[in-house]
Amino acid sequence: MTKVLALDTSSAVASVAVVDNTKILGEITYNYKRQHSTILIPMIDRILSFLDITVKDVDCIACSSGPGSFTGLRIGAATAKGLCHGADKPLIGIPTLDSLAFNMAYANGIICPIIDALRGNVYTAVYRWEKDWLKKQEDYMAISLEDLMAKLKLYDEDVILLGDGIFAYREKIVEMLGSRAKFAPVSMNMGRASSIAALAIKRYEKGSFDDYMSFVPFYLRKPQAEREYDKAHRGLV
Amino acid sequence: MPVLLSIWNLSIRKAVMIMEFLSNSPEDTEDIGRILGSIAQRGYIVCLEGELGAGKTQFAKGFAKGLGINEHITSPTFTIINEYNGRIPLYHFDAYRINDVEEMYEIGCDEYFFGEGVCLIEWANLIEDIIPKENIKISISKDMEQGVYFRKITLETSGEKYEPVCRKIIEKWDIA
Repeated sequence: MTKVLALDTSSAVASVAVVDNTKILGEITYNYKRQHSTILIPMIDRILSFLDITVKDVDCIACSSGPGSFTGLRIGAATAKGLCHGADKPLIGIPTLDSLAFNMAYANGIICPIIDALRGNVYTAVYRWEKDWLKKQEDYMAISLEDLMAKLKLYDEDVILLGDGIFAYREKIVEMLGSRAKFAPVSMNMGRASSIAALAIKRYEKGSFDDYMSFVPFYLRKPQAEREYDKAHRGLV
Repeated sequence: MPVLLSIWNLSIRKAVMIMEFLSNSPEDTEDIGRILGSIAQRGYIVCLEGELGAGKTQFAKGFAKGLGINEHITSPTFTIINEYNGRIPLYHFDAYRINDVEEMYEIGCDEYFFGEGVCLIEWANLIEDIIPKENIKISISKDMEQGVYFRKITLETSGEKYEPVCRKIIEKWDIA
């Protein structure tokens, strides 16, 4: 049995979970103000004490590896690295977009998590559920919402959208995709540490770990040349 | 008391308004900051320009008080950003040590610019390229001939979002 302590602070949500192969032992998720740096450690402390375990009792610690809020990712990564170092546990970083798509397990159609990257841009990837695994159709990217919509129009099927980008861009998405756009319910639309944990367990069992000393989140930014172009041509900056 | 010198509506189409104030002491500068802080809203970007010793930090102290922040305000020259919790959060930036706007992206500046609080940015002219075009610009200039403490403070708002700013300042001014 593998037991994972997982953290997700990559968005406005702060989420902590302890999960094993068969169930979520505990999960706390808050989406209220950005106060990750003050609440994350107490959340971990609380969940461990309610489960009557310590960091020593889990097999590994998982966190979101990006993309997402720069500050949020750093808080999560720094906390996970510190816990791994102190308790001598392996670290597993899980891409935020993978964990969001995983919220929609076995769904039909295209799954497109979108994280608001501000200035009209989104962090996204496109997935499809194939047999028992999520298959990426388009790799992680930072692109304008318009460019993403153009890509999604090429798929002739329903698109399930989730992530904090749907708060900012819902109307525009409906305008462009019409009834093909399906939005995840509130219970599924944001990052959850239990999704990070479930994916981390799969990696743990394959023996695939990150080095907690050298681990850094990936921020996924538009290349500078593109940003210069946006500035000159669209006045986006 | 600071003096409200003039108000111009430069272009109705582009929604640019300019106000000028005279300050005769650091306290006057702080008062002007306090009035602006008291009317600041979520999402406001306030750029603060002026040479060393012009009173940018003094202005920032007043601005923070206007937001209901009682903490001691220091210039974030070394930390780049200081965060304070008031009526709404204040993100106080100092771009003096920024060599390249890339460094600002690295610290996730967009999360602050488009976030839940007010951004007050010292030395904003050094990172002009990445600051949202709609903003409030405060320029503080000295004029030694008029006295050691004399400062002219110019407030310029660009963008519809900031249209009520000048009117609200005048209302506050009348009460004070």
